Amino acid sequence: MPIRKLAFLLALGMAVAACGTGTSSTTTNATKHGANLNVAIGIDPDTLDPAAQTTTTASQVVDMMVERLYTLDSNGATQPQLASDFPKTSSDGLTYTIPIRTGVKFSDGTAFNAAAAKQGLDRLLNAQTFKTQPGVLSVIDTVTATDDKTLTIKLKSPFAPFVAALTQTNAAILSPASLTVQGNTPAQVKWPVGTGPYVLKERVNGDHITLTANKDYWGSQKPNYDTQNIKIVPDDPSREALIRSGGADVIVAPPLSDLPALAQDSSLKVLRAKSDRTLQIIIDTVDTNQPLLQKVEVRQALNYAVNKDEIVKNVMFGNAVVLDAPMSKTLFGYCPVGSNYNFDPAKAKQMLQAAGASNLTVKLGSPTGRYPQDIKVATAVASYLHDVGVTVQGPQTSDWPTYLGHVNVPPAQAAFDMHFLGWAPAYLDASQQFEQFRPDRIPPKGLETSYYSNTTVTDLVVKAGAEVDQQKRKDEYCQAAKQVWTDAPWIFLYNQSFPIVYSAKVTGVGAFPNEKFDTRFAAPA
Amino acid sequence: MLTYVARRVLISIPTIFGVATVIFLLVRLLPGDPARTIAGVLATPEDVERIRQQFGFDQPLYVQYVTYITHLLTGNLGVSTRTGAPVTEEIFTRLPYTLELAAISTVLSILIGVTLGVIAATRRGTPLDLLISGLAVFGLSMPVYWLGLMLIIVFSIEIHAFPAAGAQDPLGFVLPSVTLAMFSLALVARQSRSAMLEVLGQDFVRTARAKGAPLRTVLVKHALRNALLPVVTVIGLQFGALIGGAVLTETVFSWPGVGRLLVDSIFSRDYPVVQGVVLMLAVAFIFVNLLVDLLYAYVDPRIRYS
Repeated sequence: MPIRKLAFLLALGMAVAACGTGTSSTTTNATKHGANLNVAIGIDPDTLDPAAQTTTTASQVVDMMVERLYTLDSNGATQPQLASDFPKTSSDGLTYTIPIRTGVKFSDGTAFNAAAAKQGLDRLLNAQTFKTQPGVLSVIDTVTATDDKTLTIKLKSPFAPFVAALTQTNAAILSPASLTVQGNTPAQVKWPVGTGPYVLKERVNGDHITLTANKDYWGSQKPNYDTQNIKIVPDDPSREALIRSGGADVIVAPPLSDLPALAQDSSLKVLRAKSDRTLQIIIDTVDTNQPLLQKVEVRQALNYAVNKDEIVKNVMFGNAVVLDAPMSKTLFGYCPVGSNYNFDPAKAKQMLQAAGASNLTVKLGSPTGRYPQDIKVATAVASYLHDVGVTVQGPQTSDWPTYLGHVNVPPAQAAFDMHFLGWAPAYLDASQQFEQFRPDRIPPKGLETSYYSNTTVTDLVVKAGAEVDQQKRKDEYCQAAKQVWTDAPWIFLYNQSFPIVYSAKVTGVGAFPNEKFDTRFAAPA
Repeated sequence: MLTYVARRVLISIPTIFGVATVIFLLVRLLPGDPARTIAGVLATPEDVERIRQQFGFDQPLYVQYVTYITHLLTGNLGVSTRTGAPVTEEIFTRLPYTLELAAISTVLSILIGVTLGVIAATRRGTPLDLLISGLAVFGLSMPVYWLGLMLIIVFSIEIHAFPAAGAQDPLGFVLPSVTLAMFSLALVARQSRSAMLEVLGQDFVRTARAKGAPLRTVLVKHALRNALLPVVTVIGLQFGALIGGAVLTETVFSWPGVGRLLVDSIFSRDYPVVQGVVLMLAVAFIFVNLLVDLLYAYVDPRIRYS
């Protein structure tokens, strides 16, 4: 009897487990329609309110439901989404006239128009909105719905990357009618309703978010799964276990060390998507504890001392490309700066000696668990520096908020001589990357923690920020990048990739180059 | 009895108040600016300042403390800085998941643990005793993390019997409860074995055997009943620990319980939720301890409260 019971339970377990995988009710015709797609992500979104977005992980979930005036394509270029075309910009760069798409409905059936778009942006700018994060969009002065299909935005000062900045999730347009239903208030939205291909169905905090297809989605591409079930699985190995056991069809950011094995598995596909995140050892360029770091030659020598190719190959398991500029290739304004700091320990030693820094001692900091392999990369850097005669104290490490607290301080309180940090602009424009090289962003005003300052760079960046001519802007950023590269406020390491693993039974899984996965139009293979 | 309970409850009030104060100060001693942590690295100084004001982090500490205590007296634990939901709502949506695991693993550890302990005690020195004691040591010393992953590899990846993660699947509870049960099971088994050994050596057991009572009666009615007291203590304390201590298990199995809520909140510097969860755990411990004390009287009628 007990054995029978056990067998029954086991059979039941297998049956339920089999149902759980439940992707593929593929029909034979060309539409390739599926029942459910299970996607596992690592972070439990704090809020689904577009205005309060701070992480790409939460943003990419919101993006499935709520859309913006402009969006990115998979190459990172800006494209109209709820706008029907690019805006007309006034010659002073202050007024943007945006044509609004017509015939689009929110998933609650109400019409999308310029008035709704105005309300969305106004809500972002309203200081009463819970945790609102307008960021660079606080450059907006007024938003006016000129008529149903025209939105006029006036800026406080010229801001060239404005259209690119509108691609951020915080600029997403919610249905005005939805602001008072489902527990929402105009100040705080828990249940976002937008024009996107998926609609929120259920949320269990810390466990899953279920979305259903928006049958009336306006776009030419349609959602192909009836539901997408986004599971919150914080532990990297657990996400890997989930896709290996069939409990997930798509997982984001598996353990890097297991990617080669996952790529070998014929039932799985590995997408190493582009990311805009640069990883670097930031040097305190005004260091008073270690004044030798104030010398350009010393900082350049440190760049020659580190074998970035080996770090990328052996510590990052190939999931990165070595930086050839102080920004990733995906940003507007990128250009290769030419001279690379190729690994040359002999040269590094010689440069250090010439600069009187043969007995350099530095304190190095690194977070643990913030970026893939972070502390291991920092350890590898320390060992390369040691090889050229630098004494490295550390890497000293802590959890992210603690670490950020140590790093995000004015120069006089700097805790480290050098620290490991990543930087990923939210919109793909060099202007946000250069926040890392502008003296007016030194803490507490920003996170320019190298305390680097070069008037040539500052002038170029300020000019590019207001430049209407796009080619000129590009050239200005390129010039500024070359200067930063020479001044070496960082040990330039690499631009990481953003790995996604998905079942071979699924097709159409993509990504945007700002670390957002894209399963909106995924379909059974 | 009733006066005893009332007195215990009254005594617990200053304890709870003390815990509330200590945790209020402790979270504020954590390094890292909560407003910057919430706003993220890309946020502008204005964004960070707005967040600081929205949550009152710009107020002097004593003002924050007075607000916190006044709200606490009315049962208001504040609002999560992560989600914007009331802290009580955050806790009560997560608590059932944790209680489910804690209850199942406690039942498992009592049933299996006590049985194994009794078997080992009655067969002291035999290979069976050695095996059970060995298993208990294994259970106590094995990292939960490792056991969890091993169970996932065998039961999820290899034989697809149980889901690897999450509470969405009806069988999702099986692997995490087994993992969680392992430690307390081993503890209970060891405790029962030593308690039984002690009791079995006493005169009344010999007397019972001598007057011809069957072994089974002697074991269950005479020996076990007397051996249970320390076991009940261990189980009670374990249950208290399970409510908050299931952090690793909840992480490995992506279980949306209170342990993970606490860890997520610490890492996002969500002061109100950290305060709320710790306070709830303190109350739970006090309650479970009281329950254990009352159970003593039931298990051992010689104990009286007055």
